[in-house]
Amino acid sequence: MGVLIAFAAPILWGGVSVRSALSQTLDARRLGMGGVVTSDMAAARGANLAFRAVPRGRAHGSIPLPLGLIQFASDPPEFNPDSSDFNVFEIADLITNPPLTLSLSRPDPVSSDISIYVARDSLSIDLEDLRRIVPESSMRNGSVTHLPGLGFGFRRAFAQVAPLVHTQNELELDDALRAALRDAEPFTTRTRYGLADVGVAQGAVAFQAGFAFRALHAPAPGKGEEDEGDEDPRRNGSTALYVGAGPKYLYGVAYGDVRAVAGATTGDTLLGSGDPVALDVAARTRHAVAGGDGGSGHGKGADVGAVLYCSNFEFGIGVNDLSSEISWKITERRHVYSDSLNEFTTTETAIDREFTSRIPVTTTINVAKRFGDTTVAADLVDGPLSTAVHLGAETWMGRLAVRAGTYRDANDQWQLTGGGGIRFGGIGLDLAVASHQRYLEDKRAVEMAASLTLY
Amino acid sequence: MRRVLPTLFVLALLATGCGDRSLILTVNVLSFLDPAQVSAGYSAPGGLPAVTVDMVDQTVNLLQGVDDVTDISSATLDIAATLDNQTGTATGTLLFYAVPSDTLSPFASVPIASIPISLTPGTLTNVSTRVSSVALAEALVSDRARIGIRISLDTSATPLLQSVQGTELLTQLLATVVTKKKI
Repeated sequence: MGVLIAFAAPILWGGVSVRSALSQTLDARRLGMGGVVTSDMAAARGANLAFRAVPRGRAHGSIPLPLGLIQFASDPPEFNPDSSDFNVFEIADLITNPPLTLSLSRPDPVSSDISIYVARDSLSIDLEDLRRIVPESSMRNGSVTHLPGLGFGFRRAFAQVAPLVHTQNELELDDALRAALRDAEPFTTRTRYGLADVGVAQGAVAFQAGFAFRALHAPAPGKGEEDEGDEDPRRNGSTALYVGAGPKYLYGVAYGDVRAVAGATTGDTLLGSGDPVALDVAARTRHAVAGGDGGSGHGKGADVGAVLYCSNFEFGIGVNDLSSEISWKITERRHVYSDSLNEFTTTETAIDREFTSRIPVTTTINVAKRFGDTTVAADLVDGPLSTAVHLGAETWMGRLAVRAGTYRDANDQWQLTGGGGIRFGGIGLDLAVASHQRYLEDKRAVEMAASLTLY
Repeated sequence: MRRVLPTLFVLALLATGCGDRSLILTVNVLSFLDPAQVSAGYSAPGGLPAVTVDMVDQTVNLLQGVDDVTDISSATLDIAATLDNQTGTATGTLLFYAVPSDTLSPFASVPIASIPISLTPGTLTNVSTRVSSVALAEALVSDRARIGIRISLDTSATPLLQSVQGTELLTQLLATVVTKKKI
């Protein structure tokens, strides 16, 4: 019978990574504005290739100040597993929520006793605090991460080499198992407790070359060509269209995926003198790796973007990893657990089979309107598994800026942000306070970010 | 496999998960006993200073893997029974045994609970007690435990040719084991 509850283990570990896909915004100006994407935020430049061609205007460079490291250094979690204060969920929180921002408030770490009630025909598990990390619905996480690379630009053209990593996982508990773990409902006889998992991970190096340029321009009504220093289309009232495109060759370094189902079906009695649990586990794995099985992969893709300015209104669309796919020669294996033999059997079902993987498209649509020293902006970022929405505003009063915003995160939870900044010539200091739910406990926390801004 | 998976689960819960937290295992031992053993008749010849009647000897399957990753902090057993004595007079003890293996006779071990009883004709005797025992914990965190219940009587007060007879009804056998992760 103990076998039955064993399948819950991945949930706990899956929970560790569920929120890791949620990004942490370190740019205090952007965070104060709800994390919104605009063309004058250097931190958001990769969202739309056309932003590369837009004049800087008031655009800035941002240097995050990792205030959270001070807090971390003064009160680190216990890393020694032999210590009675060790709590792996605190460590997991640290991974999913690196201490780069100052934590103003956070939920208590998952920590509690676990109670198991055992009788011949009754088994219940009360995870107490741990219930909070058992998901109410399927556990989905995924991201396409473009890591920093090397690149250069010359006039309208640019070229760069950058690694990318795509990970995606969906873990689904059936209703019976979820109720048993999340709601501490007793396990019952003649019931299957199961879960299914589908995961994929691939890494590649993108060799990209492209153009970004102004494709259309009309001065503001009643104005001629802009003077030098007044060429910022965000604020000079002109109409301008900037476009960018960058095809890329993808050198696939490694690919792996798994599709697995597992379950335990109880018999007429849960516990007793027999062993009435029927166990079923089946999985299919596929993989290829440069220098190993199947070798490297080869593919192509593209990033495209456009941003239109009209009467100080900005409308941009950026599409990254458009039609991006990589061809591999994969090795496929099937793994089946035999309940009667009490062992796993692994069968190699394909070697060097042609297979094409896809890199999911990320689409960013942003709008912004600038009224003098005030900016109001919004965006929608549609990623592999979720769609995030950001709304924000900023107004400058002399040297001081006030910002506010909100965003809907990847778990469909709305968060509030706010902040301010002060500017001294070409340098400024920005602070932002924001709520978030990146912790495993799935409860709101509040963080503060700070950054130096270069104008 | 049947042992690895549950062990991993308990390990995930305890050994890495919860710092100074405990796994509290509550085992309703009574539920594992056959109905015929929960309520059973006893009969002992009179005139003997020491006679034993074995009421229960049963092996039960428990949760796998717990003992691999936990250390026992404490264990308690709540035991209660009713003795409906029809004939004879005797004094003695109601003994509870538990061992972590089905290869040993539980009655070869030291009893975990020992409850004094006094039997007189036509009387109902209710007995109960709570005991703490590491041996009990060791049995209940194992994959299988063997449970034994014995009545040990001094029937000297009953004439030789008569007997002490009645029915024993177990009403509670509830064990609570508190374990910590094994470091």
